[in-house]
Amino acid sequence: MTRNALGREIPGKIGSRKAVPFGGAFAKVSTGTKAPRPQKVAPQHEDKVLPSIEAAIEACGLSNGMTISFHHSFREGDRVINLVLDACARMGLKDLRICPTALFGIHEPIVGHIESGVVSRIEGSMNGPVGAFISKGGKLREPAVLRSHGGRWRAIEAGTMEIDVAFIAAPQADPYGNATGIRGKTPCGPIAFQAVDAQYARKTVVVTNDLAPYPDFPMEIQQGWTDYVVVVDEIGDPASITSGTLQLTNSPTNLLIARLTVEAVKASGYFKDGFSFQGGAGGLSLAATKFLGDEMEKAKIVGSFGMGGGTKMLVDMLRRGQIRAILDGQAFDLDAIASLREDPAHVMMDPGMYANYDSRGCSTYKLDAAFLGATEVDLDFNVNVNTHSDGQLLHGIGGHQDVAAGAAMTMITLPALRGRIPPIVDRVTTVTTPGEVIDVVVTERGLAVNPCRGDLRERFRAAGLPVRELGDIKRDADRYIQPVRRPVFGDEVIAAIEWRDGTVIDVVRKVEGWQ
Amino acid sequence: MEARVGSDAKADCLVVARQAERASVAVATKNRNLLETGIRAVAEGVLDALGKPGVVVEVQDQGALDYVLAARIEAAVRMVLPETKLTRTEQVERAMSDPARPRRSRLYAPGNNPRLLVGIDIHGADCVLLDLEDSVPPGDKTAARVLVRRLLAAVPFPDEVWVRINPLDAGGREDLSEVLEGRPHGVCLPKAESGEGVRELAEELGKVERRLGFGVGSTHIMPIIETARGVLRCEDVAEADERVVVVAFGAEDYTRDVGARRTDDALLFARSRVVAAAKAAGVQASDTVYADLSNDAGLADECARARDLGFDGKGAINPRQIPILHRAFSPSEDELAKARAIVEAAREAETRGLGAVAVDGRMVDQPVLERARRLIKYAETLANGGAA
Repeated sequence: MTRNALGREIPGKIGSRKAVPFGGAFAKVSTGTKAPRPQKVAPQHEDKVLPSIEAAIEACGLSNGMTISFHHSFREGDRVINLVLDACARMGLKDLRICPTALFGIHEPIVGHIESGVVSRIEGSMNGPVGAFISKGGKLREPAVLRSHGGRWRAIEAGTMEIDVAFIAAPQADPYGNATGIRGKTPCGPIAFQAVDAQYARKTVVVTNDLAPYPDFPMEIQQGWTDYVVVVDEIGDPASITSGTLQLTNSPTNLLIARLTVEAVKASGYFKDGFSFQGGAGGLSLAATKFLGDEMEKAKIVGSFGMGGGTKMLVDMLRRGQIRAILDGQAFDLDAIASLREDPAHVMMDPGMYANYDSRGCSTYKLDAAFLGATEVDLDFNVNVNTHSDGQLLHGIGGHQDVAAGAAMTMITLPALRGRIPPIVDRVTTVTTPGEVIDVVVTERGLAVNPCRGDLRERFRAAGLPVRELGDIKRDADRYIQPVRRPVFGDEVIAAIEWRDGTVIDVVRKVEGWQ
Repeated sequence: MEARVGSDAKADCLVVARQAERASVAVATKNRNLLETGIRAVAEGVLDALGKPGVVVEVQDQGALDYVLAARIEAAVRMVLPETKLTRTEQVERAMSDPARPRRSRLYAPGNNPRLLVGIDIHGADCVLLDLEDSVPPGDKTAARVLVRRLLAAVPFPDEVWVRINPLDAGGREDLSEVLEGRPHGVCLPKAESGEGVRELAEELGKVERRLGFGVGSTHIMPIIETARGVLRCEDVAEADERVVVVAFGAEDYTRDVGARRTDDALLFARSRVVAAAKAAGVQASDTVYADLSNDAGLADECARARDLGFDGKGAINPRQIPILHRAFSPSEDELAKARAIVEAAREAETRGLGAVAVDGRMVDQPVLERARRLIKYAETLANGGAA
């Protein structure tokens, strides 16, 4: 057991791998070369189309103990993860490691597959019911490993996470294995999240419900990476990609926070021609993006780019000429998907381009401002998005770390008072993102500036914004609620939270009791 | 006998109370591990303060804050055992407010709706108005009174907080006797129609203030003129008592009462009378609410016209209207610059012994100068956060 740079206790090993303690957001020096990719060769006149998932599993030689991977672009509407795991179960496969880019409520059947031994390890991401299930402890053979979008890409390139078979849900593909997520009968947005899987996995299987004539272009997944193509009836429901997060908030509290956020952006010094920002989904982020657009219009500012998850809100800004480009890794609504197809200034990017620590450039590093949410923030500005205050692992990291580390000004927007469970705490239950990369916390009771950003504090004060100490905001909110009990953690490690560079920033332990 | 208070809406809780041998508490919440202890502590605190009555209390929590929980529990117990009284109450520290302080906005909040009440203090409204009247159904009046009293005691409002009571003979007296303990800065009298009615309220306020040991006269009155009769007699209303610091106009009830459509023309007479009556009595005038939440431009227009008529502020039904109201009822940079130029010119004229003086080609006479001075002083007050 060692303590990392944030004082969190980290075991020497996570599963069979040595754990490197987190040493600072940009402390790790990367050297050497990336892992080699499997050598593949294509016979002439090959037919890659297979009749079923089972046939593909067979052809790939998938066997017990191997690793399979998936993307999450269909979000709550995904069918492919359940489809593949059900097939694996029918074929008697056991002890599989799954490596999804994210999981959602719809993937609850994985719980059954864990109980029956089909799945024994999870790396990548974890959300909702599966997280709640493994939080009970003793469910997986090794602790789950959670990575950010960029961290997952990096781990595959580094050879840390080896994938045997990548199953790639593709709304459209040709018989030779070129595939896309933005066309077809049921588009879900870019599927480039798995471009790295496709190149590094021993075998790559494209699963589509819309087989197009060769060549299907432009493509996110290329023929040279694809071993097999399987056609199925259904891969996902695009109506569900919005996950209900695309309503502008009506809550007066959230609107107040959104307005204060935009006031802070205006006062920050970054708000001028060429300004860039990350919007994202969720009622509050959408409201902030809308108000920001209004202010940019008033001030006649043209932004350089907005970063997605793409939404109609960003697309409208692009069409009105308020931003010169959208850089987008995923789509949060169908307007964004249509725009990706039609507008050359709506640029698709994979996590390797936008978020990879081990690379010569990340799009997030070019961001002036980003608005991110949080489950908890502590007085050192550390942020938790993974666990609930009761210690249950309920959410993945998404791009939180990558965006927070990259943006010149990272703003956490959260209500200081959210029911009876305080969001501002002395010490976060789990650290997802370290305080050193969080610049501002915006609440309905004022905004707090990280002490290392005295420049911002001065600018906000000069603009008459309600700058306060985070501790004072916390005290204001806490007067309305009795203290909550805190979980007491045991020794068993449920999951490791990796920082985007592959070091361990925190671990989630099993809850043993209450204090 | 069983009483149910509250709801299963977010930020609320449902409390069921039943008579029993001895007091006990049962708690249901989605986050039992985190929250049960805290909720139980609040419940037991309330039962203690009520003298441990023989009541079983079941709390189903939906994220209610402590004061909401306490209010729901207290109301339920008192409905089961009407004789139950609090054996101790919190002293509320809240100073009387300056009668002439700015009141650009009066934000309405329904008195029995925790989801809308929580955080009502943070939107910067010059006056928050907790409503016990039209927004509270008859069966919920007791629950609303207790909730408003507890909220007043728990929340240190940065600006003014008022309570709109029911008509005195229709629950208003009970409202006062309950909520005045929370020391609101003032009380709104709905459907004010006569000086007599205002004086009756003032007298009642005096009685309760005396009982609670507050300074008699410390609670302001805001009569709301919202009937034909009220409009015709509003000068009596405005002048009826020292406690009246602002007269508000309510268009919804007024148009219904006279059978008018809500147009600017239809309201002009009433609005003008209310302004004149208020100003003759040396108090402020506040315009009616604007109901179309989605139309910010329409609200800004109506604010501009109200200000032109002489109103000092306006009602708001949602916090998002407040910035628009405050912009409209605060002096603009332009107006301030002009006012400063006028005062400066007048000062110069005086030192040089000149009589009349012109600014931008317009004569500055005594009323113009007076108006400019008032505007500058008002802007300073606003910059001071409302303190004169």
